[in-house]
Amino acid sequence: MFTSPISDYSGPMSPRPVRIVAVSLFCPAGIGVMGLGTAVPGPVPGFDPIAFGVARKHIKTMTRAVQLGVAAVAAALVDAPDWQRVAPERRGLFVGASPQSGDAEDLASALAAAEGDPGKFARDGVPLIPPLWLVKGLSNNVLGYASAQHDFRGDNGNWCDGALGGANALAQAVHAVAERRVDLAVAGGADSLVGAESLIGGPCGEGAAFVVLMAGERGDPLATAGLPSDAGIEAGFGEMGAAAVPVAWARAWLARDPVDVGGVSGRRWS
Amino acid sequence: MRIAITAAAVTCAAGRSLVPPDRCWARPDADAQVLGIYGVARAEAADDARFPDDRKGALAASALAGLVPSAPGERDGRSGRAGRRAGGQDSGQDSGHDSARVGIFLGTGLSSLTPDELQADLYPHIERELGVGSARFDRDAMSRDLASDRPSPRRHQPERVTEVLGAQIGASVRETSFSACAAAAQSILQAARAVHRGDVDVAYAGGHDSMLHPIGYLSFVVLGALSPTVGRPFDRHRDGFMIGEGAAILRLQREQDLSRDDRVLAWIVGGGTSVDAYNVTHPHPEGLGAGLAMRRALRDAQLDPGDIDYVNAHGTGTPVGDRAECLAVHQVLGDVPVSSFKGAVGHTIAAAGAVELALCLGIFGSGLLPGTPGLEEIDPELPARVLRAPIPGRARHILSNSFGFGGQNCALILAAP
Repeated sequence: MFTSPISDYSGPMSPRPVRIVAVSLFCPAGIGVMGLGTAVPGPVPGFDPIAFGVARKHIKTMTRAVQLGVAAVAAALVDAPDWQRVAPERRGLFVGASPQSGDAEDLASALAAAEGDPGKFARDGVPLIPPLWLVKGLSNNVLGYASAQHDFRGDNGNWCDGALGGANALAQAVHAVAERRVDLAVAGGADSLVGAESLIGGPCGEGAAFVVLMAGERGDPLATAGLPSDAGIEAGFGEMGAAAVPVAWARAWLARDPVDVGGVSGRRWS
Repeated sequence: MRIAITAAAVTCAAGRSLVPPDRCWARPDADAQVLGIYGVARAEAADDARFPDDRKGALAASALAGLVPSAPGERDGRSGRAGRRAGGQDSGQDSGHDSARVGIFLGTGLSSLTPDELQADLYPHIERELGVGSARFDRDAMSRDLASDRPSPRRHQPERVTEVLGAQIGASVRETSFSACAAAAQSILQAARAVHRGDVDVAYAGGHDSMLHPIGYLSFVVLGALSPTVGRPFDRHRDGFMIGEGAAILRLQREQDLSRDDRVLAWIVGGGTSVDAYNVTHPHPEGLGAGLAMRRALRDAQLDPGDIDYVNAHGTGTPVGDRAECLAVHQVLGDVPVSSFKGAVGHTIAAAGAVELALCLGIFGSGLLPGTPGLEEIDPELPARVLRAPIPGRARHILSNSFGFGGQNCALILAAP
């Protein structure tokens, strides 16, 4: 799936090695659970975004997927050594996400007030629509909220490529550290496909996983991280959408296995 | 970094063109319309059988058709879609390149829920309750304007557009960025880096978006972001943006890969991104993130601030956004001429970075630095050197800004061919 190694980089500066220094994993088997299978459709049990520092006032403008993602970023940073010593301008955030939609829920009270009458919708319904209704639908909300929470101001990106989204985020984060655009990168994906609408298409899941990347040391091998080219990800993690590849990465990392899932390759971890 | 733009195609309110149209910035009376109470900058009709429910996708297909024709039978049979490349050659499949070395990088916008049961009845009643002056609201005009559109699908799949169009050009690498109004600019930067690194030999990069449907409107109305009059970036009386739609796609190649037949429209020599880390809907009041992106672009391009001859501003026309951008431009680049295209083409949201970068290509060699359509009276409190009308000037380097909800910022630097 990844087409070219970083060692092919032809930029003006030679790339540097990249290390994974911390990881978070939220999956249907639980939060940070090791050794359990994750091919279980359904929600992450016991998930409470407040427990991961997500501000209560922001939760109402976050979809479930965004809550998972923001919490997973925070969880990954808990284990990252001395990450606060990296200047905010040198911290990068790279996210795979799906299109979000909180619209139906947020329109419900307005529709109820309308009682089927368009005129009443305008008069009584529209004022009930939260002003940040649009904002809740932004796919880059994990990036927006998490960057504000942890003061990340550096290179960044948000990819909406289905299951490729998380893979793109991981690959671009590796490039950003290797090419010295940032010294710290948090990369991963979050998705939630457990709503009634999603379930129509069959068993679905949700999850989030983020890794913390930092520059490696001289002698570390260069990572393999070209750009993903194929969506053929058969990781067996239910329909986790943009979270599928990061979850696979994180799970393998927690088990200290070499990561080779769906073509995402890497053979050495610090 | 020195990446050649060898072709560009735009679909927006200023027209559909294979070469960057100059009328949107040289003529303040471009095709922007005011329909109803809100300004609308509608692109030329874009239909595509592959995207029957997705105007965003159809706009992107329309732009790409300007660069690469579809395979026979793949399209909707409409004539006149395939054209000539901006470089002046007959367009064709990207047959000169190994498909494994071709990439497509598109920025796209959000998917708005469009419940069918609301479509017909919702929009005409919005303005009354919002108290924005129903006497000025031309409901019939707006209804006519919107009636021709199919709504965006409930679960818009932006990656499908990239996948379908990627198949058209045989791309093996594809990326779909979503960073709100910075999406297209970030896609172009990612594509340029991929070409620079050697991940691909050719990249088709740009963006596409349309929020010109009732629920899209409602989204911005509820947020209070739309101008109830018309887009007037940097104006003393600016009051929001004029919504637009469009798509633009650029073809990017390395310098050493160019053939004698390739005509370079401009070079991408640098880019930078940042996050405000401040607020998902409001820019940093001092333009901190915007300035950071511009500084990074300068460093990436190995240029000094004085090397930038013109800034194509994000310039949406919101009171807070324009001020923050002007502060940042002044702080980073000093007294450089600045203007915005959005008064003519509208705010094309996720496509803005690509549409406006493509329009910037027309500046090189024109002998003009563009003005700001819609701008009547420059806000004297803005510290930047804002251009109301075009002025004579030669641009060697142009910096183009794009900023999005979520606090993501991107600055790109073009060099003259």
